[in-house]
Amino acid sequence: MEVVKIVGIGIILSIVLVLIKQIKPELATVVLVAGSVIMLTIILKYFANVMSVFDVIINKTGINKDLFAIVLKIVGVGYLIEFGANVCVDSGNNAIADKVLLGGKLIILILAMPIITSLLDVVIGLIP
Amino acid sequence: MGIDIIFKIVGIGILTAVSNQVLKYSGKDEIATLVTLAGVVVVLLMVINMISELFETVKDLFSLY
Repeated sequence: MEVVKIVGIGIILSIVLVLIKQIKPELATVVLVAGSVIMLTIILKYFANVMSVFDVIINKTGINKDLFAIVLKIVGVGYLIEFGANVCVDSGNNAIADKVLLGGKLIILILAMPIITSLLDVVIGLIP
Repeated sequence: MGIDIIFKIVGIGILTAVSNQVLKYSGKDEIATLVTLAGVVVVLLMVINMISELFETVKDLFSLY
């Protein structure tokens, strides 16, 4: 049932976009942003219950808690960067989208630093 | 947070377009530009509120900050 909602909003949004481009071209990007925000909030609800399943798995397997928190942060950053970059691409300025993507990659790299260092410690520990 | 916001924005867009034409034919061009400006500003404010709401939910969900 939920799939119908997402697909419906997507189709309605694209039709409205074509319509608003004739009437008032300046509002096209704004309608695009508003529509994608609505779809994202709907999709976020699904992500919430996926997350609770992850927490259960993490508690069972006993993986390091803050490593998983970092992974979660990276997913969140990726989520927002994707949103911003696609809005820029759709409104026609690819250069800005690339800047947003570059910024996102760097932020994710910075976030992933602790994981890399802990991985190195493990590897060094293995060498006799 | 349903689709009604999109239709609201489209409504404002159509309203400003129509009022633009009317004001232009009645010779009041400056007011026409002002009406367009006002329409865009109102719509932008609505969308910015939605975006901040989205960022809040993402921040809470992924404990980003």
